[in-house]
Order: sequence, then C-alpha cells, then structure tokens
Amino acid sequence: MIQVDHLYKKFDENTEVLKDINLHISKNEVVSILGPSGTGKSTLLRCLNYLCVPTKGVIRIGDTTVDAEHHKKSDVRALRRHSSMVFQNYNLFKNMTALQNVMEALIQVQKKSKKEAEERAIELLEKVGMADRKDFYPSKLSGGQQQRVGIARALAVSPDVILFDEPTSALDPELVGEVLNTIQKIAEDGATMILVTHEIRFAREVSSRVLFMDEGRIAADGKPEDIISHPQNPRLQQFLKYFAQT
Amino acid sequence: MSNNIFSVSYFLEIFPKVVGKLDVTLYLTLIAMICALILGTILAIIAFYRVPVLYQISRVYIAFMRGTPAAPQLFFFYYGLALISTTITNMSATTAVAIIISLNMGAFMSESIRAALMSVDVGQREAAASLGMNGLQTVIRVILPQAIRVALPPLFNDIINIIKMTSLAFMLGVKDIMGVGRSEAALSLRYFETYAAIMIVYFVVIMIFSFFSKKLEKICNEAY
Repeated sequence: MIQVDHLYKKFDENTEVLKDINLHISKNEVVSILGPSGTGKSTLLRCLNYLCVPTKGVIRIGDTTVDAEHHKKSDVRALRRHSSMVFQNYNLFKNMTALQNVMEALIQVQKKSKKEAEERAIELLEKVGMADRKDFYPSKLSGGQQQRVGIARALAVSPDVILFDEPTSALDPELVGEVLNTIQKIAEDGATMILVTHEIRFAREVSSRVLFMDEGRIAADGKPEDIISHPQNPRLQQFLKYFAQT
Repeated sequence: MSNNIFSVSYFLEIFPKVVGKLDVTLYLTLIAMICALILGTILAIIAFYRVPVLYQISRVYIAFMRGTPAAPQLFFFYYGLALISTTITNMSATTAVAIIISLNMGAFMSESIRAALMSVDVGQREAAASLGMNGLQTVIRVILPQAIRVALPPLFNDIINIIKMTSLAFMLGVKDIMGVGRSEAALSLRYFETYAAIMIVYFVVIMIFSFFSKKLEKICNEAY
C-alpha cells in the first residue's frame, strides 16, 4: 500500500540525510522506525507526506504516486489525503477546542456537515478518553491529553496510514504511558501505522515490523523479535546496548 | 476679562465649535483606518509569502513611506502630483488626506501584521498541511485567528497614530477639529484657549478608543 523507491533527501551539498531508501509497507502493518538521532528517521516520515520535500525518488500511498523531481501541489495534497500525522509537539490548533481540532479536517477537507463531523469527533475523543475535555483549549490540557487529542485528530480523516513522529518524546515521563496505551489500542484496531520512536520496549510490543536506520539508510528490517531480541547488525547491537543501559 | 491670559468664557465659546467638527475627524479616521488595514494586510501577506516581484516592490514602498514624514507626502501628492493628474486636481482635500494617511499608515500596519503572522508557530501550518488543508484554509482558519491577538496591541497603536495624523488635514484647508480651531484662533488671537480645547478633544477621543481597545484585547486573550 505504501511504496517508496530510491528516495534521497539532501539539505545541502554535504548533508545527505536519506540515501536511496526503498520500502514497501502493506495494509495493517505497524512499523516502528528505530535508530540513533540524526539518522533521518523523522525526515523519512516527513517525506511521506511531503512536509519535507525529497530531493529525488518516488512515493506511492494508495492510488497516489508522487515523483519528487516533478511534483505538483495538487499531487502533494492528494498524497496527504491518504495519511495523517501525530507530531512530537502535538501541534494542536491553539485557537480551537479539543472538539474543534478533531472536527476541523472533517469539515474543511472532507466537507462533512457540522453535525456529522461533531458526532464522529466525539466518538473519536471517547476512544482516546478525552470526551470529557472536549471543550477545553489546548493550553488548558496536559501534554499527554493534548497528544491524545492529536491522535483523535489524526484518526478523524480515516487515513490509510497514520504517521507518528516521536509522539512521546516531548512528554513528561509520567504521561508517556497514557499516550502509548492509546497508540496500542489503535494498533489493535488494525490501523496501518508508521512510528518513529525511542521507546524500544513499546516498539517491540506494538509493532509487526521494525526498521533500524543508520546514517540515512535502512540498516535492518524485520520482525521485532529478530531485530530487537536477536540483532545481527553490529551498529544495531551497539544501539540496543546503549538503551538497555538507560 | 478678555485680557486675562486664559479666558474661561472664550474657552467655553470655542470648545463647542471645535467639538462640532469632531465628525470630520472621526470620518477621516474611519476611512483611513479601513483603507490602511486592507493595504497593510495585503502588504503583510505579500511579505509573509515572499511573493516574487511584488515583495521587492513592497519593501521599497514601505521603506519610503516609513522614511519620509506625512506632511511633505501630503503636499507632494495634493499640490505636486496635481500638476500631472487631473484626478488629483479635482479631488477634495478630505479625500487627499484620507489617501495619504492610508498609504502612510498602511506601511506601518503591514509591519505589525507581518510580525504577528510570523509569530504563529510553523507546527500549526504543518498540522494543517498534514490534514490536507490548502493554503487559503490554513491562513483563514488557523494562522489569521492566532495572528490577530498578537497584532492587536501594535495595530491599536497605529490607529491612535491615525487619529492624531488627521490633524494634518488643516494643511490642505480641511475644516476638521484642528482646521476650525486654527482659523478661529487666527481671528481671535486666543491661541491658549483654542489649542487647549483642541488637545482636550483629541485626548478624550483617544482615551475612549484606548478603553475599548483594552477591552477587546482582553476578550481576545480570554478565548484560549
């Protein structure tokens, strides 16, 4: 369902962040991307919805194919309609309540009626356990609560794939659990997800597949038990050892 | 009594005459404010998106408007450009003043609005894009509502400057608060009372405006 071919991203002449990424992800897969900082995990994720424009390469999600070297605005918007994103810093619309945040894309992008959008939004807020806070503005919510609303907002557009960009990295340790539980619940519902994370144990539990990225390449790709429990790649072994210590 | 330095009776006589021209001042302010806001918003959006060509032109325009005083701008436009344009020759002085204040303050307002647009976190735009919203939807639904509360205090400042700038209208013969006071004072030679009355009227108008602008700022900040 997601196909990435020969994807490159250069920020300038000397910093090539992604080097020839090739990737196929099927429906219902939950893919975690692990790896040291600065190896292009987030860049890869952000290239999938063109928040970051790749230098070269082809991305296909569902029936939309976009070639980086000659992409049009309309192609990019079509591509984005197949996915949604949960951000590290939540990025909830500050001028809208939790409910309005979830309703926004339903009304503006999917052109649903206000009533229909509201019903769907409340349903989703219930799913992430935030229905009782639906009329709160983001500034009145904790980080964990904001991120759960962020997840509801991402679910609202019925995406083919949800992209999680380090969803718990900005959270206080005691708030990580509630967000991970929410993500797990959605994974169990059969959503297709790609998850950039530093939560190794969680990645092992929730994923059906793990990618290990190193220096702009996919260095290992396989089932979580193979990648995390029995790593072959020396860089991966080193990386996991470091996490085992902390 | 008429030889007193400050004649209360003359003050009481001139005050209603000055207040009587408040409509001209307020009318000028209102027109200039609306036009300057529209111009300022357009210039700010051009600067925000760095629209090619228009951006370079707008920078020169803003630098020029901010770098020269309003009084020579007024004369240059109404008496200078009038030599080559019949539209300006036939224009009423009030319209000319409104145009110059709008052009001048529009440049200032564009900077206030641009700063406010840039204050909105880039993550807000990314979130809108990731949900498939287009550029216009993002600006109208997300960026502008958040920018307005940031822009309000500097914009209110700009509007107070517009109110005060309308007092230049007398230079083209407009009979506003300042214009009528000036000709009365020239006849009576009672400058003290006349200009005291003029300043009090401006002061009260600006105080009332400030009161309501503070209220509005508060309402905008309470929302979220």
